[in-house]
Amino acid sequence: MSSTVVILLVGSFVAASCALVGSFLVLRRLALLGDAISHAVLPGIVVAFLLTGSRAPLPMVLGAGCLGVFTVFLVEVLNRSRRLQEDASIGVVFPALFSVGVILVSSLAAQVDLDTDCVLYGDIAYAPSDVLDVGGVPIGPKALWTTGAALVVDALLVLLLYKELKVVSFDPALASSIGFSPVLVHYLLMAAVSLTVVASFESVGSILVVGMLVVPPATAYLLTERLGVMLLLAVAIGVGSSAAGYAFARWYECSIGGAMAAAAGLAFVASALASPRHGLLARYLKHRRLGARLAGHLVLLHLSGRAAEGERRGLGPRDLEARFRWGRVRTARVLGRLEAQGLIEPAAAGLRITPAGERAVEQAGTAALADRR
Amino acid sequence: MSKSSLQCVLLAFPSVLASTGCDPGVAGGPAADASGGPLRVLATTGMIADVAARIAGPHARVEALMGPGVDPHLYKASEGDVRRLEAAVLVLYNGLNLEGKLGDILGKLARSKRVLALSDSVPRDRLRQPPEFAGHHDPHVWFDVALWKLTVGPIARALAALDPAHAADFERNAAELERDLADLDAWVERRVAEVPAGHRVLVTAHDAFGYFGRRYGIDVVALQGISTAAEAAIRDVERVVEVIVKRQVKAIFVESSVPRRTIESVVRACAARGHAVTIGGELFSDALGAAGTREGTYRGMVEHNVSAIVGALR
Repeated sequence: MSSTVVILLVGSFVAASCALVGSFLVLRRLALLGDAISHAVLPGIVVAFLLTGSRAPLPMVLGAGCLGVFTVFLVEVLNRSRRLQEDASIGVVFPALFSVGVILVSSLAAQVDLDTDCVLYGDIAYAPSDVLDVGGVPIGPKALWTTGAALVVDALLVLLLYKELKVVSFDPALASSIGFSPVLVHYLLMAAVSLTVVASFESVGSILVVGMLVVPPATAYLLTERLGVMLLLAVAIGVGSSAAGYAFARWYECSIGGAMAAAAGLAFVASALASPRHGLLARYLKHRRLGARLAGHLVLLHLSGRAAEGERRGLGPRDLEARFRWGRVRTARVLGRLEAQGLIEPAAAGLRITPAGERAVEQAGTAALADRR
Repeated sequence: MSKSSLQCVLLAFPSVLASTGCDPGVAGGPAADASGGPLRVLATTGMIADVAARIAGPHARVEALMGPGVDPHLYKASEGDVRRLEAAVLVLYNGLNLEGKLGDILGKLARSKRVLALSDSVPRDRLRQPPEFAGHHDPHVWFDVALWKLTVGPIARALAALDPAHAADFERNAAELERDLADLDAWVERRVAEVPAGHRVLVTAHDAFGYFGRRYGIDVVALQGISTAAEAAIRDVERVVEVIVKRQVKAIFVESSVPRRTIESVVRACAARGHAVTIGGELFSDALGAAGTREGTYRGMVEHNVSAIVGALR
């Protein structure tokens, strides 16, 4: 299996498992949990080192894993107290744990190079080289096994508990009333998050994990309002970003994990601009459409008032320009559209409203009155 | 959500792993070089690449993963590094955790290609280790030129095993390099002797110069430990200022990899105690200078550091 295939597979596994659990984090406003765990694991690796006297991957991952679970537990306890917002709960927990780690390193282990970058975080670039042995027999890259296992666990969790997770994410009160514990489901999800995050840190490093946990789900969130579609889209965007990022890293000779996370960022920007409902482009077009309709109504109302006074000689574009201060181009555009719709017509000295225009004014007035009632 | 898509992934997974199982792992290995052409040698740091290139001469293409000024702590592998690693038939690294996780992985590559941890050439009893953590050695062995000379023989032997036709060349180059390094070692001793014994105190930002101090009789005082996770504490600054004032140290040094600010705060704290200390210059610690400059070679880097230290303390 070539290194390219290994890197693409590991990148896709990480992206897919992060997208699955990350979607629920984004919905529950806990998106920064991955980032928090990346800092909060420091005391775990220091304690694991002090206990075992070793900087080997296994004790480091176990120490980090314990702290990962502890972090989500503390965040959840603070959340449930209802005294803090989600972001503040995360913000309180991880600096506290990280600072304990810094104090432990500086007071107990300053002579040993012990930081998350050098003992815990791997890099997806090393994935093809780090082959796992079972009884002396190589059984393929270790990262493929660990990230693959995380993906299987996350996929099973989402498949088996899909309905429960959905209810818990959107309506916890309903969840307890129909007979299952939202707390239990939630802790299962959070345990899956911390195991996914720590196992992926060890295989591919932090930036890729933190990025894939948040960005593809957030992108999918802009594109749909259905949970199932959001999960599938998030997985697709994550996997697509890994492939595109790898191609970029290959061309530009840069960090693979960085390029994959950056590709996910670009996907987000693209959908923020072009999403059919919430996209900036869609909103701009809608805004313009509403603006044009309003301008037409204003002109009709203006002309209509004049008609009631019996002043049927019409008003020139100049008069309207002066009245609405729109400038010549915009005035011409608004009048052109109204004329094409048959709501106004040329008159002796300018323009006048047609009977169809009067009816449109009447209808708009009734609609506005109906709105007010 | 559609169940079938995830079930697909679940079903496909074991077969993917099964296919890796039969794979010999990383391609290459010594046999791959039977085609002729220069050996591809990959070193982690510039210090190692410089030594290897001197020994190999024109018979190998030596590359370094970490370029000039790259702190091994901050090194991030690029996509090109993956392919360089695959293409290399000989991989040379420092070991002793200087390369962090990368070091672990290089150790595992030994099954499919020739991999040499240079610190293995140094007898264990000559490695520095913190008293409270036996076995976790200080990796900065290259600052003791006599220790660094010990790595020459193993590199030459590894090259000769891969390219027996040029073994004599490697041996000759290695002998010449060992003479050069012995000269350099003696030169450093002579230069350091210019500093009055009482003034031989080297104050730096992070603890990279332990081997240097031990070899050449200089007391080394570092603001930070070897780990960069812990920032310098107030206590550390006070401890260092105490030494500087007590021993009337004239100059202290900055390193490219540690913020200048910390060392500047020491200068101010000394001034407040009525002792003027200057910044004696910037030392190369974990990486060489730019390629093509004098400091871009191992010898030039040592000469730069020693000249800066001796010039400022004398």
